[in-house]
Amino acid sequence: MGASRGPRLSGMQKQVLSLYRGFLRAARAKSAEDRQQIESLVSSEFRRNAKEVDRKNFLYIEYLLRRAKKQLDQLRSPDVVGLSALNVSFSQTKHPTN
Amino acid sequence: MASASAASLCRFQPFQNQPTKTSGLVTRTSSSLQLVSNGWAKSGFSSLRTSRLQICCSAKHETVQKVVEIVRKQLALPPESEVTPDSKFASLGADSLDTVEIVMGLEEEFGISVEEESSQNISTVQEAADLIEKLVEKKAAA
Repeated sequence: MGASRGPRLSGMQKQVLSLYRGFLRAARAKSAEDRQQIESLVSSEFRRNAKEVDRKNFLYIEYLLRRAKKQLDQLRSPDVVGLSALNVSFSQTKHPTN
Repeated sequence: MASASAASLCRFQPFQNQPTKTSGLVTRTSSSLQLVSNGWAKSGFSSLRTSRLQICCSAKHETVQKVVEIVRKQLALPPESEVTPDSKFASLGADSLDTVEIVMGLEEEFGISVEEESSQNISTVQEAADLIEKLVEKKAAA
């Protein structure tokens, strides 16, 4: 019965999904505006990596998982208002503005 | 067989004017029906009883409709697309990240908290609705 429900996920995939859930949970605690921004950023980042990273590139995925865990821990702190710091680093790599 | 007869008894309860017998029957059925028995004990009008029973029976459908709505919104499905209780999220074009988003959206809509283990087992609208009913019930009992 368990096998027929949904796709079988590897341990790593489960970790990624659990992190994604964690980020979305953490975003709930922020203000509506920040939350939306965090959600769209997190969502695009996860989707980008899901598409771009080779699924056999375990070392890199493990690095991303470790990095995401640290970022999530920071985001969980009530003092952290949003992901703006992350956003800056992402936008710098994508389209350098300054 | 046993459950079928219990259900049919429950269906006819509003037409019986025997409160003692009613409560006895209800306690033997599921916990969702116990809520109904509380309502009967308080309200004296038979019309109210019938309406309460309708709510109890249509809850399943309402939940499913709500789930369908959220799934549509989350996956940005066009209104003409068909979403049935048996629709698999995957066949609606959802990947595992979308499924996480759907479950998170359902959590907020219903004010529940879905555990990670069970959320990974959800793959259809009906499964989601069943789990939600279970969790809402648990929350009401707690």
